[in-house]
Amino acid sequence: MSAPVAAPAVSPRRRFWRRMFRNPLAVFAMGWFVILIISWVWPELIATHDPFSQDVMLQRLFETPSGDHWLGTDQFGRDHYSRVIHGAGFAFRSILIAMSIAVGLGVPIGLYSGWRGGRTDRAIMWINDVFFSLPIVLLAMAVVIILSPSLTSAMIGVGIAMSTRFVRLTRAVTLAEKEELYVDAARITGISTRRILSRYIAPNLLPSLVIQAAIISGAIILIGATLSFLGVGANLDDPDWGVMLNRSQAVFRQEGVWQIVPPALALVLTVLAFNLLGDAIRDALGRDASDNALSVTKRVAVKPAETPHKAGADIVLSIRDMDIEFPGQKGQVSQILQGVSLEIGPGETLGVVGESGSGKSMTMLSALGLTPAPGQMTRGSVFFCGRDVTDLAEAEWRRIRGKEIGVIFQEPIAVLNPAIKVGTQIAEPLRIHLGMSRRAARNRAAELLAEVRVPDPLRRLDQYPHEFSGGMAQRVGIAMALACEPKLLIADEPSTALDVTVQGQILDLMAEVQQRRQTAIILITHDLGVIAEAADRVLVMYGGQVVETASTHDVFAHPQHPYSRALLDTMPQSHDGAGELPIIAGMVPSASDWPPGCRFASRCEFANDECHASMPALTTHASGDLVRCLRASELDLGMGVGVKS
Amino acid sequence: MGKYIAFRLLAAVPLLFAIAVVTFLISVAMEARGSIAGQVCGEGATPECIATVTAELGLDDPIPTRFARWLGDVASGDLGTSLLNENTEVSALIGERIWPTLSIVGFSLLIGITVGMLLGIAAAIRPGGLVDRLISVIAAGVIAAPGFIIGMLLSWGFAVELGWLDPVGYVPLGESFTGWLKSITLPSVALALPTLAIVQRQLRSSMANALLSRYVLAARARGVSRPSLIGRHALPNAMIPTVTVIGFRAASAIGLTTAVEIVFGVRGMGEMLVTAIVGRNVTVLQGGMLVIGLVVVVVNLAVDVSYGFLNPKVRLSR
Repeated sequence: MSAPVAAPAVSPRRRFWRRMFRNPLAVFAMGWFVILIISWVWPELIATHDPFSQDVMLQRLFETPSGDHWLGTDQFGRDHYSRVIHGAGFAFRSILIAMSIAVGLGVPIGLYSGWRGGRTDRAIMWINDVFFSLPIVLLAMAVVIILSPSLTSAMIGVGIAMSTRFVRLTRAVTLAEKEELYVDAARITGISTRRILSRYIAPNLLPSLVIQAAIISGAIILIGATLSFLGVGANLDDPDWGVMLNRSQAVFRQEGVWQIVPPALALVLTVLAFNLLGDAIRDALGRDASDNALSVTKRVAVKPAETPHKAGADIVLSIRDMDIEFPGQKGQVSQILQGVSLEIGPGETLGVVGESGSGKSMTMLSALGLTPAPGQMTRGSVFFCGRDVTDLAEAEWRRIRGKEIGVIFQEPIAVLNPAIKVGTQIAEPLRIHLGMSRRAARNRAAELLAEVRVPDPLRRLDQYPHEFSGGMAQRVGIAMALACEPKLLIADEPSTALDVTVQGQILDLMAEVQQRRQTAIILITHDLGVIAEAADRVLVMYGGQVVETASTHDVFAHPQHPYSRALLDTMPQSHDGAGELPIIAGMVPSASDWPPGCRFASRCEFANDECHASMPALTTHASGDLVRCLRASELDLGMGVGVKS
Repeated sequence: MGKYIAFRLLAAVPLLFAIAVVTFLISVAMEARGSIAGQVCGEGATPECIATVTAELGLDDPIPTRFARWLGDVASGDLGTSLLNENTEVSALIGERIWPTLSIVGFSLLIGITVGMLLGIAAAIRPGGLVDRLISVIAAGVIAAPGFIIGMLLSWGFAVELGWLDPVGYVPLGESFTGWLKSITLPSVALALPTLAIVQRQLRSSMANALLSRYVLAARARGVSRPSLIGRHALPNAMIPTVTVIGFRAASAIGLTTAVEIVFGVRGMGEMLVTAIVGRNVTVLQGGMLVIGLVVVVVNLAVDVSYGFLNPKVRLSR
């Protein structure tokens, strides 16, 4: 009876509110609004005095808090507390006026502009940007002088000014949604524009609109208070927070700073509550991934490898039993890599293959001490050229990275800094690791570019990454990785993003460098064609584990693991051209819930009950190769490439 | 780069024109409500007075004619005279009032941008760390507080209680440099605190994004040191969105300085505009709007030029 209980399905609405109530800042904001709304709807319920009643005897002016006047009194002996309570109504009225104008004006204009596009859109947006760039206080003042000073005219001005924010937002969402296929489809089938806007665009607009409205409400109150403070907003006797601050301003130097505190606190807390509410709604809707991905993780002690590990200097890189874990939700841990081991000697090329999500790139990053936070290595050991680097300090690692180990990444343009000249970036490792002068490093960078066959290297040095094609950028990547003549080159899908002719050139280039310098190369790819061409040995990874390691010849000639077999079947070369190219059905299971048995079992055509029940170990097979399959010895997976039955 | 700047300068011309149109429309709207001549003649205006003033100010002419005439005057530096006092040239009035305002806004931006950037970087280095959380809480509070409230608290603390600085007044730069600096310090800090918080928040989040980028990972894989990763690799890219935010904040600071000036008894543009609104003195308000519009255009230009420096793609296109 250990069958996992399925988590009850939660509606998005309930999830939203659950998240809101779990966020203490959101709870504070919502609590504050409850008080404000009561103060607005029924101020007499909680106010203790009439906000206008003055102390005619002029005995109790400028008081500090007391049992009778909880927040003291002002220069006419009026009760601060009751005035602040009544001020909530002015704040909400301000928001209502300004917000209905801002939304009522901004959303339709934004929808129209985004939907029409083209010249209309450009014209509207240009005018909008003129208003957008002018100070809101100034625009509000212009309206106030036309309509005569009052809180209403000030808020009409603020509303007009704020509408520019909604125009921008609505237009951006409309433009994005218009490009969506389902909107296109709806348009072709002749659904009316009005219906498309209300059925398709509006639902996508609403969340952003609500977030924006919360934050703009705070801004409206802030600007409204500023205008009232200046005396061009609410009437100078009203219990408006801005007006109260205007009155306090004249007297606080003589009568004490307390005079500012009650209205200031009410104003600041209200603006704060709106800002917190906006942030909380955004978080609860799961928009805008938070910045936590960079957050620091506490280092844990790394458990040693299961068998004592020591690698001599003749082995370039040796990894034994490496586990990498990521903290998941609710204290659970996802094991991204489990017991990964590999070894590579000088001049050797080790191919690492597997689908995306198999842990190839994570293995590479962890070998460099670059496990992305909050993940960390929890078990295993790593030796580089005879040196134990398992627990190496960051400063020590810096001396190895770029000098002893070079890395070529998958997206050649994305890994170049867009703001720095290419020459400067190539020169960087030379200056850091070899201590070259600026001039020497530049000359060497030009040589390196020539070595990787970039035409006109001197001119190219002074260009920026966006002036490079993908192929040329990858040559730059290779030049950078090889700048300090590393002992190990890790190439993560070096040719995947490039077109076929360039792919071959890049691989040839790497082979050439290897021959000259006896560089060890770890070649990570999902493309078995690349492996067949370039690798001496192959490591097949699946679900964060090594499932087979053998010589390239062996893997292609007689794969031992059903997953290797399946990968070979998906190669275009292994296909006779008739019918469809086979794919591996199903998906890699997610790291948060690995199955208890073999991780490939659910997609394996040979799996039996035992495969689903217990995890196979990586065992040495008759040929000396390592295979992680319970049935490896009994299965005959047939011949490899080209002889598929 | 020169070509890029020339292009941006050219693009500023229609923006200025648009601001002029908006400004001119204020007087059209006021007049539609019959306010201008009535304001000049005062309460109990006689029809004769109204007729004379209307003819004098040419309020009867068709709107395009008036706009052309007004624009011609403005272009030659003539912003008209105050509606309430014929002897006061609006341009002379603004020439006097603009310096305190520019001093405070300029100094506040200097403080806000530099300190905001430093704190933004400090927070981005260890997101979720103690420094980050501390700065974030304070920044959230400061963003919610308008400059004039901060100003009153500063005035009370540093001028009234501690007596380090004068609570009110402005000393022109021409009179004494230290006096000028002292007189603008508190108002500038008051206006700078929200700026600082806004810059800090934006830079923190764009730095965090830049530090997560592939090019920073690749630079780490080349052995680049932490200070260089932050300062040379991440910062220039993170500054691009931050500069945009600084531009918006600079424009709104010009509007919000009005209230701060009032707190510190500085007779700048703020007091001039408020008096103009209460007296419905439209020529003064229009003059003020035009000059502030001009400042905003200059700020936008500065922002565009910084984009050019930060982003080679922008600089090299066009």
